[in-house]
Amino acid sequence: MKAFAKMFTASLKEFARDRTAFFWTLAFPILFMLLFGAIFGGGDSTQIQVGLVVEDQGSAGEGLAQAFSNVPVIKLYRGDRETELAALKTGKRGVVVVLPAGLSQSIGSGQTGQVEVYYDPSQQMSTQFRLAVVQQVLEHTERHVTGNTPMFSMTPKTIQAERMRNIDFLVPGILGMALMQLGIMATSQPLIALRQNQVLRRLGTTPLPRTTVLTSQVTLRVLIAVAQAALIVLVARLVFNVQMTGSWLVLLGVVLFGGLTFVSIGYLIAAVARTEESGMAIAQIINFPMMFLSGIFFPVEVMPKFLKPVVTAMPLTYLGDALRQTMVGASALHPLTLDIAVLGAWLLVCLALAVRFFRWE
Amino acid sequence: MDNTLAIEVRNLVKRYGNLTAVDNINFTVNRGEVFGMLGPNGAGKTTTAECIAGLRQPDGGDITVLGMKVGPDTHRIKARIGVQLQTAALYPLLTVREVLDLFASFYPNQKKRVNLDELVALVDLQEKAKTYTKALSGGQRQRLSVALALVNDPEIIFLDEPTTGLDPQARRSMWDIISRFRDQGKTIFLTTHYMEEAERLCDRVAVVERGRIIALGSPADLITTHFKESAIEVQTPASPADTILSNLPGVSHAQRENGRLTLFTVAVLATMAGLMELSESGQVTFKDVTMRRATLEDVFLKLTGRRIRD
Repeated sequence: MKAFAKMFTASLKEFARDRTAFFWTLAFPILFMLLFGAIFGGGDSTQIQVGLVVEDQGSAGEGLAQAFSNVPVIKLYRGDRETELAALKTGKRGVVVVLPAGLSQSIGSGQTGQVEVYYDPSQQMSTQFRLAVVQQVLEHTERHVTGNTPMFSMTPKTIQAERMRNIDFLVPGILGMALMQLGIMATSQPLIALRQNQVLRRLGTTPLPRTTVLTSQVTLRVLIAVAQAALIVLVARLVFNVQMTGSWLVLLGVVLFGGLTFVSIGYLIAAVARTEESGMAIAQIINFPMMFLSGIFFPVEVMPKFLKPVVTAMPLTYLGDALRQTMVGASALHPLTLDIAVLGAWLLVCLALAVRFFRWE
Repeated sequence: MDNTLAIEVRNLVKRYGNLTAVDNINFTVNRGEVFGMLGPNGAGKTTTAECIAGLRQPDGGDITVLGMKVGPDTHRIKARIGVQLQTAALYPLLTVREVLDLFASFYPNQKKRVNLDELVALVDLQEKAKTYTKALSGGQRQRLSVALALVNDPEIIFLDEPTTGLDPQARRSMWDIISRFRDQGKTIFLTTHYMEEAERLCDRVAVVERGRIIALGSPADLITTHFKESAIEVQTPASPADTILSNLPGVSHAQRENGRLTLFTVAVLATMAGLMELSESGQVTFKDVTMRRATLEDVFLKLTGRRIRD
């Protein structure tokens, strides 16, 4: 027990004194979150930035402007055609609606009023949604003006309990990324170094059981995983006001389990790689596709079909999903039990392979 | 088993694929003795040491350490020996004192606790006690590695090439430290390819080549067994000096290497006189005459036809 405590403290000191490892495991995810949060997390993703250009002098123009400003999901900006279109080009507006001169006359003379709607086709996903909202406003106004009683009234409802912002989507993803990188990089690298420097061999000349070497290392990694999670949740709450919706206990369980799964993958890498460099190469081959394809940063739905099998196989897909539904109550891809079951399968397989192939020298 | 024996090796064989690294080796090491294995790289010294320390599984033979069989009793043996490996990189971001403390915790059932501060002093690292091991020089690292082999107050210390890669000054300081262990009555098993190291430190030396012991005995015995003669070295072109000088009075045989001819003679004065005559008559031109006693290097050269560090 004393040897375990000493081994644990020694690994902890080595970790804390290694500024590179310290940065990548603890500081990097936070910086990443702050950066991503600053870029994408500023606005409410369900709020639409609408630029309104009223060139019409009549009552129709003012009436429509009033109608737009009454819609809660619309953040309305008014300006002339030139400035609003420029703002659309730089992404500051989601859509620009122009009520051209003579609109009131056209409507007054029984003709269809032509409303011009500008949008950026490169923003395909969100544009459809925005156009639908604008359409809705126009139809609603039309009925109002023509005196028809609207056949339907629409109450906007979200599928989540609370409205999800970009940052709410991001934070669990960043935690998932941090846990993965802790496992596959921050675990395999020091272990390969210990073997390459013959430290493991040197330990083999003492009566210290090998299990103590392993358990002390794994315990440390898993505790670092919990510290990482705590730090990320704390900063997300303080800086971006991301509220935790699920149970803390379940979150702790998911973090421990996910951390353990990726640590076992790290051990497998250390078992297969001969040098630190080849270990890093293998880790990156695993790291990059998982980061971009597992849905931790981009919704799985936008992935091309042929990647679906890869996405389905990745453990990070399930860890990300488990974290997201636990932390911010996002609609789940899978039930939590399935997420845990798939992670457990990965854990068992990697652990078995690591035990089988791990070399001490 | 004889209680005065620290190590007993019988018919040890170790193969790596087709290569037989250790080829049927037999020897014993007495308690309190400094026993050296001397030989070139790849001769099987390190493999032998690793088999005795329980780090490698032999392909044949029996090894007994402190009366216990290596294999079934390896775990118990490990508690009573200390091993220093050739490469000594150790937890780069721990301090000297922390690494010692860590290794001491691996031996929970020690009868006598080793005072780690004394150990630090023994290897002259007092000023480096709070330094990260990665900041140590090669010699300091090697001394730390030796100190780590002592945290359990072992009965046998294994030192694998303890001075390889060290500068002459660091080597000398390591020799001093090993002499201190010897004075404390420890049994030391040492491998080296430095003749001088073996001659200075070892009570007995096993000269190994290609996995076999080709000579075994105290350095002095080995030299006198193989050389009754003294050696005179001269720098001279091969022809016609070799024939003429080999026939000088007293010369039993001659060896040429690197432009130098070594004459082994039983009558130093007669040979020297002959050399002077040749020089004065101008028959042979030579320079840089040195006279020395035969060394283990000469023994190795005589037995194998090559030098240890080729």
